[in-house]
Amino acid sequence: MQVSKRFLLLAVLIVAALVLTACPAQQPAAPAPAPAEEKGEAAAPAAEEAAGPVEIVVWAEANNVEHWRADGPAKAAEMVEDFDINVTPVNDDAGWGDYKKKFTLAADAGEAPDIVLSGHEDIPVWANAGYIEEFGWCREKYPEFDDVIDSLWDSVTWKGKIWGVPQDTEARPMFFNKKLLAEMGWSQEEIDALPEKIKAGEFTLDDMIATAKEGIDKGVVEPGFGYWHRPRKGGDYIQYYAAYGGRLYDPEQDKLIVTKDALEKWYAFQRRVVEEGITPENYIGTEWSIWHDTVTSGKVLFWNGGIWQWADWATNYVADQGGEEYLFSFVGYALQPTGIPGRPGITLSHPLVYMITTEEASGKSNQEAACALLAKTTTPEINTLHAVDSTHLGILKSQATYPDYANNRFLSDVLYMLDYNFYQPNHVMYGPYFDIVWDFMVKAENGEMDPAAAAEAAVQQLQAELGDAVIVE
Amino acid sequence: MTATSEGIRSSEPISPRASFLETVRGLLGPLAFMTPATLLVLFFFFIPVLIIFGISLTNLSTSTGFKNWEWVGLENYRRIFINPQSGFIFRNTLKYVFLTLTLFNVGMALVIALLTTHIPRRTGFFFRSLWLLPRITPSVIYVMMWKYMAADAPYGILNQHLFVPLGIEPTNWLPAQAWTFVILTNGFIGASFGMIIFTSAIESIPKDYMIAALVDGCNMWQRIRYVILPMIRWPLLFVTTYQTLSLLTSFEYILLLTDGQFDTEVWSLWAYHRALNNYWGNFQWGFGAALATVLVVVGLVMAIVYMRYFQFNELVQEPKIEAL
Repeated sequence: MQVSKRFLLLAVLIVAALVLTACPAQQPAAPAPAPAEEKGEAAAPAAEEAAGPVEIVVWAEANNVEHWRADGPAKAAEMVEDFDINVTPVNDDAGWGDYKKKFTLAADAGEAPDIVLSGHEDIPVWANAGYIEEFGWCREKYPEFDDVIDSLWDSVTWKGKIWGVPQDTEARPMFFNKKLLAEMGWSQEEIDALPEKIKAGEFTLDDMIATAKEGIDKGVVEPGFGYWHRPRKGGDYIQYYAAYGGRLYDPEQDKLIVTKDALEKWYAFQRRVVEEGITPENYIGTEWSIWHDTVTSGKVLFWNGGIWQWADWATNYVADQGGEEYLFSFVGYALQPTGIPGRPGITLSHPLVYMITTEEASGKSNQEAACALLAKTTTPEINTLHAVDSTHLGILKSQATYPDYANNRFLSDVLYMLDYNFYQPNHVMYGPYFDIVWDFMVKAENGEMDPAAAAEAAVQQLQAELGDAVIVE
Repeated sequence: MTATSEGIRSSEPISPRASFLETVRGLLGPLAFMTPATLLVLFFFFIPVLIIFGISLTNLSTSTGFKNWEWVGLENYRRIFINPQSGFIFRNTLKYVFLTLTLFNVGMALVIALLTTHIPRRTGFFFRSLWLLPRITPSVIYVMMWKYMAADAPYGILNQHLFVPLGIEPTNWLPAQAWTFVILTNGFIGASFGMIIFTSAIESIPKDYMIAALVDGCNMWQRIRYVILPMIRWPLLFVTTYQTLSLLTSFEYILLLTDGQFDTEVWSLWAYHRALNNYWGNFQWGFGAALATVLVVVGLVMAIVYMRYFQFNELVQEPKIEAL
């Protein structure tokens, strides 16, 4: 009797354990995305039954001054005539890495938004994975897209096809402190002529180092405040590589390129600014808030940034000192100087682009409506809201004369930089490529490796991880 | 065992079949209690390891999605083997695990446990509570505090209030002394785990042993060496093994603190960077899975080594006194 009681107890325990461990499986599961064929058939009747507005979800990565990235399409929905559209805008400020991760996981689960905004370099990766629609059919359908600046279509082209529409672009100038230059003895004419000299290749990275050093020697600039580049990882650094003649991509072979000589010169430049005392030792890793505070406080002579930071500085850092007017009083801006005398200055543009997700990735067949929505988003009325609020360059030909845009002094001043810009390549392996060249650049700048040895190691690492996707020249 | 059970039963002969049933019945109890843990280990360790190993044999990445991937055999392992960074990152990992473990997770934990059990009880409790603060602070806030402590003048607390008054040239201390900060941030949190385990183990040592040691004229060091340490060998094994495996796979604080820069990339962070977080996208899940598989193998090897070193079999054998 006692034995049977014990068995009963054991049996209850076993059953309880199994039930507990199996619990998740018995929860009502979320409906799995239907296979493509089924979705096509099922979606139409469902849409008819609903007969309500088309629900479009737009994801964008944006801070508080960039909210039009997702809110723009929401506003444009009122202008769409072909469809009754209701937009759910989602502005995400978690950082690009997490944002992209979130999208890819959602797309694989069939729960991606209908429209996603991201960097143009995501096109080959997401197109290859089947997450985004080819955009050519949409571009042909609406005349609004004819207004997009022609060269910007290059940034959304991969394997001869168009995969998205640009939303914004920018330049990454070299900013300079006009007051400090004047204190060093520069005349107003010389200061005003600096952008032109950089554009003509008459003021190089070497000249910038010499000027910053002179400022420190004269006691006008504090040691370590002569030149501040971006303090953390980002595309800006590729400008130095390009300034020394580095190439990134061969479109004919669809392969990445690493130019060894330019890589070594770039790494040497990063170390030299520290050794010359114009950039602090152990500078990389400085907090962004400290960086913004310092450059807007007027202590730094030269610094590299992006034009979008102008709005951020005016709104979040110097608003109490006069905002933009205060910035104009002492900040000048020019192209990134070349490393090779005689060559024009350059700037990196990194257009963000709207992409329409595939039916498989979003689980919905709203592509036609998404296209109509993007057509109305790609208008001066909507795009200028974002361009002006966040100081990004416009993407439309008509914006040059659109009053709200043309009247913006800063945007008008930097518009010419688009003639000297370059893009990062649309190649599936560019992400790992960039990570590797960045890792060794940090080692070179921090003095952990000799620049030449760091360049050599970077090339070896690229060959080991990327194999024949990269050409060494 | 057989003799014991025969002794309490009748002297009737037991048929082989009955004996087998008895054995099965005897096993049912332990099995029932083991089932939840077994299922947990099965579902949350063995099956994920098999899946990770499977993925490591593919070229799965963001650009292939879950539909266009291909089997690539051992290609990802070959890429790890020929990678010039592999040796460096592996040595970094060993350095990180060894220093954090010996200086803090076991070393400091033991020191705190010994000190706080040899002072008045309330005071000991107070100091142990202080050591728990880093663990209960959200990791991002905790690391941010360290960053602002190490930041360059005029922001850094160390520079402003300690080094500059002493005439030491200010700098951004995080890149300058990256490993020190990596070990300190991890160690201040890691020490509290061992501290709790060791404290309870020391306090559960019967007082008779301590009194006997005092009567024999043992000094403090001798009591620690010959009484306390042998008696907490089991918790020591547990904490050392658990913390080694935990450190091998942990990268949260390094990610937040340096993101692997300044030569602080460790193996698990490398796997994370390649599989889940490169700057411009296209996460290399296959390659990252191969890196993670290597880590599982290293962890298994280290667990086996520890068990042999601490003579695990002796620790878990049945007490002889009950077998008589």
